This record gives sequence, C-alpha cells and structure tokens, in this order.
Amino acid sequence: MKKSLMLLMTLIFVASAMLAGCGKSDNGKNTPANEGQKSTNNGEAAKVDDSPFEITIRHTQVGESKKFRLALLEDVVKQTQDAVPGLTIKLDAVDSEVNRKEKLRGEMAAGKPPEVFDVFGSPDAALYAKEGLMLDITPILDELGLKDKFTTLAPFTLDGKIYGLPIGGSIEGFFYNKEYFEQKGLKVPATLDELDKLAETIKADGKIPFAQSSKDAWIPLMTTNNLWSYYAGPEITYGFKSGETKWTDENVVKAVAKHKEWVDKGYYKKGELGFEYADMRNQIVTGEAIMMMDGSWANSVFRDAEQAGDMVGKIGYFNMPPVNAGDPVVVMQDANNGYGFSSAVAEDPRKMQAVKEFIKNMWTDEMQLRGLKEDGVLPAMKMDLEQMKTTSDDPLMQDIFKAVSEIGTSFPAFDALVQAEVNTALSMGIQQIIGGEIEPAKMLENVQAAQDAANAAGQ
Amino acid sequence: MNKALRNPLIYLIFVIPAFVLFLAFFIYPVFTAVNNSFTSWNGISKNITYIGFDNFVTAFHDVAFWKSVKNNVYFILFSCLVQVPLIVIFSLLIANVKKFKGLYKTAVFMPSIMSTAVIGILWGFIYNPDFGLANKILGVFGVSPIYWLSDKNWAMISILITNAWQWTGFYIVMVLAAILAIPKELEEAAAIDGATGFQRATKITIPLVMPIISVVIMLSIAGAMKAADIVLVMTKGGPAGSTDVMATYMIRYAITSFRHGFGNSIAVLIFIFTIIITVLYQVLISKRTERIEY
Amino acid sequence: MRALKKTIPHIFLMAYLLVILYPFLFVLFSSVKTNNQDIASNPFGLPGSITFDNYINAWVNAKISTYFFNSLYIGVLSACLSILFAAMLAFAVTRMRYNKISAVVFQLILLGMLIPNNSLLLPIYGIMRKLDILDTHMALILPYVANAIPFSVIILAAFMRSLPGEIEEAAVIDGLSSAGLFARIIIPLTVPAIVTVFIINFLGNWNEFLLANYFLSSEELRTLPVGMVGFRDAYNTNYAQMSAGIIFSVLPVMIIYAILQEKIIEGVTAGSVKG
Repeated sequence: MKKSLMLLMTLIFVASAMLAGCGKSDNGKNTPANEGQKSTNNGEAAKVDDSPFEITIRHTQVGESKKFRLALLEDVVKQTQDAVPGLTIKLDAVDSEVNRKEKLRGEMAAGKPPEVFDVFGSPDAALYAKEGLMLDITPILDELGLKDKFTTLAPFTLDGKIYGLPIGGSIEGFFYNKEYFEQKGLKVPATLDELDKLAETIKADGKIPFAQSSKDAWIPLMTTNNLWSYYAGPEITYGFKSGETKWTDENVVKAVAKHKEWVDKGYYKKGELGFEYADMRNQIVTGEAIMMMDGSWANSVFRDAEQAGDMVGKIGYFNMPPVNAGDPVVVMQDANNGYGFSSAVAEDPRKMQAVKEFIKNMWTDEMQLRGLKEDGVLPAMKMDLEQMKTTSDDPLMQDIFKAVSEIGTSFPAFDALVQAEVNTALSMGIQQIIGGEIEPAKMLENVQAAQDAANAAGQ
Repeated sequence: MNKALRNPLIYLIFVIPAFVLFLAFFIYPVFTAVNNSFTSWNGISKNITYIGFDNFVTAFHDVAFWKSVKNNVYFILFSCLVQVPLIVIFSLLIANVKKFKGLYKTAVFMPSIMSTAVIGILWGFIYNPDFGLANKILGVFGVSPIYWLSDKNWAMISILITNAWQWTGFYIVMVLAAILAIPKELEEAAAIDGATGFQRATKITIPLVMPIISVVIMLSIAGAMKAADIVLVMTKGGPAGSTDVMATYMIRYAITSFRHGFGNSIAVLIFIFTIIITVLYQVLISKRTERIEY
Repeated sequence: MRALKKTIPHIFLMAYLLVILYPFLFVLFSSVKTNNQDIASNPFGLPGSITFDNYINAWVNAKISTYFFNSLYIGVLSACLSILFAAMLAFAVTRMRYNKISAVVFQLILLGMLIPNNSLLLPIYGIMRKLDILDTHMALILPYVANAIPFSVIILAAFMRSLPGEIEEAAVIDGLSSAGLFARIIIPLTVPAIVTVFIINFLGNWNEFLLANYFLSSEELRTLPVGMVGFRDAYNTNYAQMSAGIIFSVLPVMIIYAILQEKIIEGVTAGSVKG
C-alpha cells in the first residue's frame, strides 16, 4: 500500500507544481503592456483608471476548421486590450453546439453569462434579451455609426432594440465535384427536374448523388427547408408562429415528399442516418459522393489541403434551382450567429468601454473582408459584390459570390422563425422520413400539433 | 449491548460530514426539481408560473415519452437477464483459476476505465457500416452489412451491447472482491467433503456473495434508469428518437426546447419510476435472500 | 481429464478477453497509421509503416498533459474524501447501536442511488454560484465527493455488515472506543472494499464530463474528458490522430489500475490473516 501511496503523492505533487507553472506563464503573457494614454473619447484624460480588470469572451472557434476565425478574433482582442487601459481579455473556447445548447443556457439560467459571448440570434438571443440578460447595444451602434451598415440585424432585434451583432452571413446550396461533372459532361442544373435527372445519372454511374449526414437533423433539414421554400414559397415559414399558415399545407407536403423520394431512390448513402456532420464532407473529399447540400461556411474545408487533400480546387457551388426554369432563385440566407453582451456590463463603465472598443474593432470592413478572404465567411455587413469578388480569387469563392448574385428572394432558416419545440418536432420528423417510418402528410401533422401547442403556450 | 458503540457524539461526528453533503447535493436539488416540475418555466425567465400537473399530463400523453420508457425497460432487462449471469459466471471462473488471475482481473476492468465519450468514439469505429469491426466479422460468415446505429431495429441493441461491454467488467471486479473475501477454510472444507466445483459455487460461493450480487442488480437498475451519456455519444437518441431513454428524452424535449419545467417533471418521473422498480425488486426478490448471513 | 478441466475456464476467459481487448488493439493499430484511407483499407492489421506523428500531434494539439494532471489530482482527492466520509457513515450505521436512526439515514442514502444526477445539474450550478467557487477546481471536488457518497456507503456498509460481530466484541472487551474500533479494526478489515470503492470513485471522477464541462471555463483548469471531447470535435475527421488521443487518455488509468488491483489481493490476504 505504501509504495503506491508514495507514487500517488508524488504524482499529486508534480501535478500541483505543473499547475502552478501553467498559471504563472499564462499570467505573464497576458499582462497588459499598454500605457493607457489613448482611449480618451470624452476628454477626461487626467484621471484614467488603469487598474487591471478583466472581461471574458466566450467564443466557439475550436478546432482545425476554425483556426482562421480564431486568429482574427485574437487580433481584435489584442487591439481592444491595447486601447483600453488595464483591460485583460480572457478567451474562453467552447464547442459551438455545447455552448448553444448547454453552457450558455445554464449560465443564462443562473443569470451570469460571460461579458461577451457567442450567441445565435433567433430564437436564443430574443429569449435572453426578454429576460433582461443581454445588453442593449443600440446606443453604442448609434455612436459608432454602425447601425445601418449590416445586411440584416433582425435576428438580434427585439422591440426595436439591438442586442447582438452577427459575425458573418451564410447561404445554403450545393457543393459539387466539378472534375466529375466535367468528365461526365454534366452541367449545373437550372430546374429541380434537371437536378433530379442529374442525381439519377450519378446514381446510375455507381456514385452517391448527395452526401448527407442525418445524425443531427438540422443537416437534412437544410434540404427540406429550401425545398418547401420553393414549393410553398418562402413566406409560408413566417406564418407558422402566428397560425396564418400551416405545416400541413399541401405544398409543404409536396416538398417533404420530394425529399423522401430522393431518399427512396437511394440518392443518399445507406446508413447516413447514423453519420456525423464530418462524414458527409468526407464522402465528398473521397469522391464517393458528388453533390452536398451545406452552408456556404463549408467552403473553408474544401479550400484547406489538410482537410480536403486532393479535392482542393475541384469543388464548385450552385444554388438549389427553382421548380421552373427562369423562376427567381430562392435561397436561405441569414446572419444568425454572432456575439452578444451581458447586461451586467452596463454596471461598470470601464467594461462598457471595453465592449464598445471590441465592437469598434471587430465590425470593420477590413475584418469582414479578412474573414471572407481567409475563411470564406460571407460578410454580415453590407458590401459591394464587386469588392467581395476582388477579395478572393479562389474559384470556389467565386462560385459562391455568383450564387449570391443570383439570389432572387432570400429567407432566414426556419429555426429562426419557429419555436424551439417545433424545431424539435421537425427534427424528429425528418429522421423518421429518412428512416422510412412515416409518410410526409402524417409527419407534418405531428409538426403542426407541436406548432399549435407552442403557439398556445406562447399566448 | 455495550457502551462503546453507543456514543452519541461519535455517532454524530461520523454521520454528519457525509450526510450534510448528501442533503446539499441530492435532497435539496430534488426538492428544487419537484418544485419546478409544476411550472412552465423556460429555464431562464424570472417569472415562473405554476401549472399544476400539466407537465405530467403532457408527458403521459406523449407516445415518444412511452417509447423512451420502453427503452429504459430494455436497459434493465438486458442488465439483469444478460449481464448479471455473465458477471457471476466470469467472477467464479476468475476466482477459481490459478494462472493469469491478475491478467484477467486487470483486463476485464479495462473498458470501465474509459470515459463514455471515448467509448462512443471507439464503438463508432466498430459499428461503422463500411469498415467497422462488427460488419467485417459478420461478413466472414456471409452476413450482409448491418447499419448498426442508423437502423432503428439495430440501434438500441447496439447501444446495449456497448453499455454491457463497458460495465460488465466493473461489476465482475466487485463480485470478485466479495468472492475472494470468503474465508478459504469454508471452500477447503467443502472440497474435502467431496463437493464438486459446480456444487461449491452454487451451494457456498453464490449464497455467500448474494448481498453483493443484490447490490450489483440494484446498481444496474439504477444505472439503467439514469443511462444517458452512452446514448448521447452513440446516437443522440436517434435515429428519430428510437433510442431515446427517459434521460435523453428529457434533454431533447426539455432542455433543448427551453422547457425547463417540463424537463424537471421528467426528472421527477425518472425518480419515481426508479423507486417503484427498486421497491418491487426489494419486496419480490431481495427479501427471500436476506436471511442468509455469515 | 484434469488438464482439460483446467483449460476450459481459460478458453472462456480468453474469449472474453478477446472481446474486451480487440477494440483496444484496433485503436492501437489505428494510432500508428498515417491517415483515414490507411485505416479504412486495412482496419485490423498492423500498418506497413509505423508512424508516431499522431502521438506527437495529439500531445501538442490536445494539451493532454495539463488535462491529465488536473483530472488526476481532482479524481484522487475527491475519491479519498468520499471514502473517508462514507466509511465513517457506514461504520456508524452498521456497527453502532442506533438502529432506528441508522435505518432512516441508510434508507435516505439508498434513495440517493436512484436520483438522476443529470437532471440536478442546474440546482447544483446554483449552489456553486452562491458559494462563488465556479471556475475553480473546488466546484468539481465538492460535487464529486458528494456524488460518490451513496454508492460508497452502500458498498462499504455491505462489507462491514458481513464482518463477524465477534471481532468487535473482542476489541471492545480489550478496551477500544468506537473511534478506535473504526480506525484500528474495521478499516483494515475493509481494505479490499475500500480499494474497490476507491477505484470506482476515482474512475467516476476521472471520466466525469457534464459537471466539468459546465462548471469550469478556464482552459488550464479543464479535465481530460472535456479536453478529449474538444479534441474530438476539433479533429473528428482524423481517426488516426484521435486514436492516439484515446491511447493517451486510457494508458494512465490502466497503469494506475494495474498497480492498485494488486492491493486488492494483498488486502484480502492481510484481512484473512488477522481475521
């Protein structure tokens, strides 16, 4: 017993020594090295308080595929630290899903979110703002003249006040294997029927037409959402919450039936219902599958040799085509993910200043273009398409810019327009469709039931 | 009987630290949960409305909830009918071999030392329909690929197998410790009397370790009722909710959907169901074996 | 015949070991392969060329050393504390003559086994906030100690109950107080159970994810499971590197277990000599 006890004690000792060491080196790195002579907006330079203080930024830039975004954030943090005397910014990295579904919610329930945090606009931010947990940043935006610079701030707006800013925008469409298309003489479809035929051809060739991973239901729902926006029109989604429109609308049924038809025809890999998000990208990278519905953010994967290997430069992008040739292109386009701020910040003028400085440094044309160039994130701020095109000459990015320019009508993703519990019901439903357990009409009846319950509870 | 064992001060000193922690981290939170289960709280709002038993009524009317209950029952049945016999048999085997005892003991425990997150990753490889171990082996016998985690008919059994793989060794070590604690003289005396290995096992060893087996069964039931991590890391309750257990149902329909009050009512139901099952077990089975003491 | 009788158990046990160990071998092999294609084309054999880059990358990328020592000291400290408290309570409940109170206390604690901890996360988070120890290791140690108490009490009480009553009668006649009886007689006799419970508690703490994920945010405070999941999220397309990460997270506990499991046998021998 004694020997192992000694061993354990030694290990504990070593552990605590290491910890102490880690702590120290970290502090050393973060010591604010600024003198604090700048940053005087209101002429009170005489008594600038430069005693050290700290704010935490919760971000979700974890992992290989987000390294550029992290670098960008780190630069903004540095600029902000330099501009505010005494400020130390602590970066707290958490996986996006974990932050959205667990961590931030727990902190909100306890009333103690970090000063700055990654947040989804709708429905999350609205809910938090309603409880007075988020800082109203309208005055700051007015002061910095940023208010009208964004494509849309709707997801972050509640009762005319703005509670957060989107970091970037995105659209949803098809990534495809350009090389394969050229070899087989295939071309980008102009109608849904053509897309259908294309899939049939690819299937006959022994390849998987569409890569999809449905373990997380939001992935197949990208396809479904875009389909029903064509069949039933994008306006229909806005009416579900108010009860003006119903999920059981025959055109929505038709859209779900279309998705089901693709499943039944074997256009997706068998067993994909159990696959993780990364698997579908792998299907494209290995050449096993030819097309993939995903958000434009996925371009960063296909432009990085470490992740995409030989496929770099061989992937293209197109919008989901309309039902009839020449109809306007309808595409999901939103800017729902960004940063929010704790309402507790308002109690401390120095923290307010830090937040203001952070906003000032983060949302600039320069940073938006840098995000676009390095990371392929579409700007959340209004920007000339021509300027975007000159920023990145990557062919995949050019495809995406072209897709943006083709958009006739854009709509926000359905989960920003309906209650969380409706999203849950729809998620369940689409997996049942893919699993072949249920018919579209019945599935949508279930969703409508959840919608009715949620609407009733909301009143 | 004697004074040394009736010292109120010592008794208090011995009981209080553990008991206070227990009250703070078990009883108090349970009261909070029960209280919240009667509300429509969204988990964030400061306004909390009491809605009586509505949450419970909603749950009882939900087909998906009963499906999750059924999956918990599968968990229990699998633990008690498949795992427990295996645990007893392998404990006896290990206790009675002379060679490699240390190796067996170390090895059987190995799956239990891994975090569930890692096990989820590992078994994800094994169940991979294209190159996973499971299908490769079955392929040798000409079985066509099974979509373990994607097919609703296979997903639950896949999870149960993984769960058993993870925890069987854990319980084996517990039972083994009890078997090894049995005084050697008893077995030796029986051996001299001419009892066979099988007779010794059933007549002496198993009755003597019955209290521990009983504990193992109780722990399996409690574990089965609480099981969540393994489901979350393997299927997230999917496909289409077919592997939801009560705990993941709670997460799916309550926490993810901002229905905290409803979630708490599910937690309370898990608690109540577990108590009912354990009490049933105690009354029906445990009582009969309780008289055996040594 | 005798030889056959001796080998049959080994055949069964070896088959069981194969089931247990093969996945580990699979991970081990995968961890020295170059990439996914390598794993997919030859999943179960050794690769043609062995590479250790995955280990280096995993160690550097995943900061496993920091997470490892955090997990180790939190796990050991919490497990020791809960065993101490649980053993005291188990002794008082099973051996001291307050049967009525003891029955109530014990039943209550038994109830604790049935409480679904997952759902108690938010109330416990509230307690931690009131104590103002969020984002410190204390925020894990307290709940870990508390969470292990019901289980430890049940196991230790079961073992203590099975100890023959004559031992303590003799000890009390020798003039030992109840505290002395606990420290000098009962604890040494319970060593096998204590070691078992220690291992189980330690592992529970070592692998705990939910609380560690919620209650800590600083990277340098993180424990191994949180680190591993982060690692998986970050590198989930690189199976080879993930396998190396798995090896890192599993190897240390395997060594600790291998050391401690000897003690179980030692404890039993010591116990039976004294008894």
